[in-house]
Amino acid sequence: MKSLSPRLPQVKAQPEGRPRSRQPGCIMRALHSTSKGRGRAMLVQDDLMAPEVIRDPYTYYARLRESDPVHWNARWQGWLVTRYDDAVAVLRAPEAFSSDRMASLAQELTEADREKLALLITYFSKWLVFTDPPYHTRVRMLVNKAFTPVSVERLRPRVRQIVDALLAGVEPRRHMEFIRDFAFHLPVIVISEYMGVPVEDREQVKEWSDETSRIFFIRANEPDRRERSQKGLQKLLEYFEPLVYDRRRHPRDDLITALVQAEERGDLLSHEEVLATCTVLLFAGHETTTNLLANGLLAFTQHRDQWELLQRQPDLIRPAVEELLRYDGPVKATFRWARREVEVGGKTIREGDRMLVVLGSANRDPRKFANPDDLDITRTPNPHLAFGYGIHICLGAPMARLEAQEAFLALARRFPTIRLAVEPEGLEYHPTIIARALQALPVEW
Amino acid sequence: MARGLRIRVDYDRCVGSRLCVLTAPGVFRINERGQSSVIDPAAAEETTVLQAAEGCPTMAITVEDADTGERLFPPPGAPV
Repeated sequence: MKSLSPRLPQVKAQPEGRPRSRQPGCIMRALHSTSKGRGRAMLVQDDLMAPEVIRDPYTYYARLRESDPVHWNARWQGWLVTRYDDAVAVLRAPEAFSSDRMASLAQELTEADREKLALLITYFSKWLVFTDPPYHTRVRMLVNKAFTPVSVERLRPRVRQIVDALLAGVEPRRHMEFIRDFAFHLPVIVISEYMGVPVEDREQVKEWSDETSRIFFIRANEPDRRERSQKGLQKLLEYFEPLVYDRRRHPRDDLITALVQAEERGDLLSHEEVLATCTVLLFAGHETTTNLLANGLLAFTQHRDQWELLQRQPDLIRPAVEELLRYDGPVKATFRWARREVEVGGKTIREGDRMLVVLGSANRDPRKFANPDDLDITRTPNPHLAFGYGIHICLGAPMARLEAQEAFLALARRFPTIRLAVEPEGLEYHPTIIARALQALPVEW
Repeated sequence: MARGLRIRVDYDRCVGSRLCVLTAPGVFRINERGQSSVIDPAAAEETTVLQAAEGCPTMAITVEDADTGERLFPPPGAPV
C-alpha cells in the first residue's frame, strides 16, 4: 500500500451564508424575529462561530434547546432547530424544506460571477446532498444498492486489513497524531478502492477534493475561494472522465462501473450526472469519517470506564459506535431552506428562510435520551440523528459505521492504554458551523 | 402460489428514507410519523420485497416466511 503523506485539512471558517446586505427582506426578518423573541431569555452568547461555542457547542445548544428551541440567530440570519422532535419534523418533510443549496448560492451571485462559476453550479446542483426530489430520488435509488448495509459488510475483511496495516506502522513509536497518522487515511483508502480510483492517484485526488471544499467555508483572506473550488472540481471531473470511459470499455467490479452501467441501461443517468456523482461520493467519503474517528477516540480518552468496558466486551462495538455518533458526531448541523411558510415548534418560518437543523443538539435532547450528556456504549436503542433523517439520510452511513467499528476494535486491542498526549485544553477545533472537526489529536500509549 | 410473507418495520431504526416505498410502493407507505408502514405484504413479488428490505439504509425491515417463520431478510451473519 502506498502511504499518503500526512496532510491535515486546512483551517476552515464559517460556512457560506447569504450576504446580509443583499438578502431581501433582511430588515423585515430582524423585526419579525424580535417580535417573536420577545419575552424570551436573552442568550449571553449567540454566535455560532464564537471560540467558546466552537470548542464546546453543546452548552450553547442546551441553552437554546431549553430557552428558545426554534431560534432566529440574527448574526447567522437563519433559524436554529435544536430539539429532537422539531429536527425530525424538518428532516422528514422535504416537500416543505429544500436542500437546494445551489439555488440559494446562485441568488447571491452577480450575473458575471454566475457565468464565471457556471461549471461549479452545474455540477454541484447535481450533487445528491444539494438536491431535492425527483432528481434526488432517481440518483439515490441508483447508488443506494452499492451502499446498503449488506453490500458494505462485504468490505469488512479489507477494512480490517487496512486498519491493521496503518496501526502496525505507528505502534512502535508509542505516540501519534491520530488524525494525520490514522483517521485521515482510512476513509480515503476505503472509498477510493470501492470506487476504483487507482492507488497511486489517491493523494492527488484528495488534494483536488480539499480544494473543491473551499466554497463551503468562508476564510478571512481567501477572496478567490470560489474560483479555487471550481478549479478543484474541474480537476476532479477531468480526472474521472477517462476513468468513466475506461470502465465503459473494460467493466470492473467497482462503483464507477456500476454508475456507467446505470448510464448505459437507458436514460437513468446522464454522462454529466455520472461525473457529478463520482465527485460527490469521493468527496463525501473523506472528511466526515475522519472526524467520527477522532471525536470518538477523544471521547474514549475522557471516559476510561467506557473504553475499558469495550476492551472487556468487544461485542459492544456496534452500540459503542452509535453512541460515539450521538455523543460527539462529526456533523453538527445540516442546512434546509423553507419552500413555503411553515410552522416549526410554534414558530412561523417564512418561505425562503434558511434553517440550521442542529443534529448535535437533537442528539443531546433529554426529551429523547436519558442522561444525554453521558457516554454510555450500551445505550440501546439509540435513534440518534448523526447521519440525518429522512430522504437525505447519509448514503455512506454503513461504510462509516464499518470503518469506525473496525478502527475502535483494533485500537482497543492494540492500545488499551491510549491517552491524550496533551492537556485537553490544548485541543483545537476547526471553526465551522457544520463540521465538528479537531485540528489535531496527539495521543500516546 | 407464492408463499406468504410477514414483513416488520423496526421503528427504532426506520428513518423515513422512503426507499422501501419507492422500491415496493404497494407494500409500504409512509405513515403520518414519516416512517414506513406495511400496508400489503402480497402487493409485490417476493424478490421486490427483499430488494426493498435490503435497500433500507438502516436495516429496519425484517422479512419472514409467514407460514414457517423462516427469516428471509436480514440474512444470517448480516450486520444488525
